[in-house]
Amino acid sequence: MMQLHQDHSKFIERNTEIVVIGPDDAAKFKAYWQEHQLGFHGIPDDKHSVLKLYGQKVNLFKLGRMPAQMLVDKEGVLRYVHYGHSMADIPENAEILKLIGSL
Amino acid sequence: MPGVEVNKQAPDFAIADFNGKEFRLSDYKGKSSVLIVLNRGFI
Repeated sequence: MMQLHQDHSKFIERNTEIVVIGPDDAAKFKAYWQEHQLGFHGIPDDKHSVLKLYGQKVNLFKLGRMPAQMLVDKEGVLRYVHYGHSMADIPENAEILKLIGSL
Repeated sequence: MPGVEVNKQAPDFAIADFNGKEFRLSDYKGKSSVLIVLNRGFI
């Protein structure tokens, strides 16, 4: 999350919105966003509606939900989908920024 | 559990952000790209 925060301006320069969706409730999101001064969208999905729609993987052995990232282009088409296999399995921003540059 | 695939239309959704303001994916069509990050939860 902080990695995205540090590079947020690079995403803005590339006309890309960042939207973070998670299973926490609105109060937890708000507290986290205020604490870290985050400028992108934060969406509580405690009913898991979007998380299920996008097929977020749940790993019972690693205690919970795995991170995932998707890039949707201006036409509404998915250009990149990454389902993490562990908490640390998050793509580098540089990789995503390069992809945005190639769209 | 269903997943999504590259080069297919992203399923649209509309959901309130933590301030109660609606975020609708299709509102950005023709305007900007959207990076969707599915978070595990804050620890």
